[in-house]
Amino acid sequence: MNLLYQNRSLAFSQKVFEQLLLAYPAAHRAEYGADMAQLFRDQCRDAWSEARHFGLVKLWLRVLPDLLKTCLREQFSNLNPAKSMSNKISNLFSSPTAVFFKVFVAVFLLVVIASIAITFILPESYASTTRILVQPDSNDGQNILATVTNNVISYDPYFVQTTLEIIQSEVVLSKVITRLNLNVTWGKKYFAGQTLKTTETMDILKNQLLLAPVLDTKLISITVYDDDPKEAAQIANAIAESYRDYRAEMRAQLVESSLANLQTMYQLEEKQIEQSEAGLEAMRQKYDISDDASASPTEYLSQLNEPIIISQQHFEQMKAQLDNLKQLNKDQLRDALPTVFPDVTYNGLLNKLNEARQEYATLTNNPSSASTRATDIKSLVAELNQQIDDRADGIMAGLNTQVAAKHADLEALKVRTQQTKDKMPEIKPFWD
Amino acid sequence: MAKQKIDPESLLPLTPAVFHVLLALAGGERHGYAIMQEVAQSTDGQIKMGPGTLYGTVKRLLAAQLIEESDARPDPHLDDERRRYYRLTGIGEQVVKAEAQRYAEIVKLARGKNLIGKPA
Repeated sequence: MNLLYQNRSLAFSQKVFEQLLLAYPAAHRAEYGADMAQLFRDQCRDAWSEARHFGLVKLWLRVLPDLLKTCLREQFSNLNPAKSMSNKISNLFSSPTAVFFKVFVAVFLLVVIASIAITFILPESYASTTRILVQPDSNDGQNILATVTNNVISYDPYFVQTTLEIIQSEVVLSKVITRLNLNVTWGKKYFAGQTLKTTETMDILKNQLLLAPVLDTKLISITVYDDDPKEAAQIANAIAESYRDYRAEMRAQLVESSLANLQTMYQLEEKQIEQSEAGLEAMRQKYDISDDASASPTEYLSQLNEPIIISQQHFEQMKAQLDNLKQLNKDQLRDALPTVFPDVTYNGLLNKLNEARQEYATLTNNPSSASTRATDIKSLVAELNQQIDDRADGIMAGLNTQVAAKHADLEALKVRTQQTKDKMPEIKPFWD
Repeated sequence: MAKQKIDPESLLPLTPAVFHVLLALAGGERHGYAIMQEVAQSTDGQIKMGPGTLYGTVKRLLAAQLIEESDARPDPHLDDERRRYYRLTGIGEQVVKAEAQRYAEIVKLARGKNLIGKPA
């Protein structure tokens, strides 16, 4: 079917050429006419493959002068093969003038007829060209990121050729055929309404299609030849759009697979982090390390020593107070002890003592008062003094005990801290 | 009648069309289309011989006995029986060699006068 389509133009050209061969001498035509016609058919086929109707026109523009020149030469040489070219020319203008004019007129008319045929009879052909910018996609996630961020991707020397093949492939052209309904449209146009198969339409479309990279650019020109300029433009644009859609699909698939890979990598990394964190937590518990992410090794050591320092200060303060209290006599102790070590019982005894002393002073200043009461108060004062001293001794003993206990705590704390410090070299690498 | 011995030098210089056809056939037997393709390829498409020029040249080369028609078909499976194959004759080979030598001397002369660069 494709051949039938092509033959409309090719067959006409070949028929005209065979007619033009009649201008050659009969002997030459008999010997080489078939070969020349065969060669012209081959050239027509090449010209059609190269640029369809435009190729045929270029071929004719090359062949016609060649035919005219060689036809004249053969006619001259046919006049008298044995004579030189100058004699042939003189013969031409002396006796066989008629032959010359016959040949000249015949060739002239054939050239004119062929020119008219090419101009008016051959179907008009329009070319519509669109250009697309192509650049390679990548085949892995990193290169996709490079593409997205317009970074440089490795050079592919076969990219342009591959792209040209893809554009001519079924995956792109079948969408064009479907989009423009070319099976039906061209069936009506070229084959009396018979709906074409997609493969047949694709053959015709490929013959009308010329793809070429634009020199020194990333552009590819898509040229479509058609007898309808509007249809040529529609097809060229549809091919460009179909290729764009194809690239978008490919890119989406690529991004999807790359994202899946990245997701898998992310999950693996996350799992490793979880395992590391679990190991770290186990070591923290094992070595009793605080989970203070902000603490540096120096801070951690400082924190370890801090309870010792506080306890030491507290102990020394208590011991100093105790030592000071021990140096006081009983009266000084009665003044100092309530402020150093507030004790309700002790304070109560002191208050009672003051009250008894006050009453005793009142009784002794008033002679009328009963002497018995004075005697009682005096004995009460003595008793209270004794109780206060006992209480003071008790408090001092208690303070002694507290200072001793504090000292023992401090020493125990020092031992524990030292034990922790001794373990620190094992965990030090985590901090480095 | 014994064949007249032809002096290759007497046929020089050759026309470009003749020289290119002989050069194409120096690579082996070829039919007309293959000769045309070989010439176009070897000249980077600058010379595309038309049917008239090609078969006119072939006719003259046959008459001058520089080429001859070959009966052997190079590839029977792929061959088109309608095509005629041609090959160089002994004298044809001498002529094309002589012409190539003549061109080589011209190139050497031009190079000596710095008209063209030395080959890479």
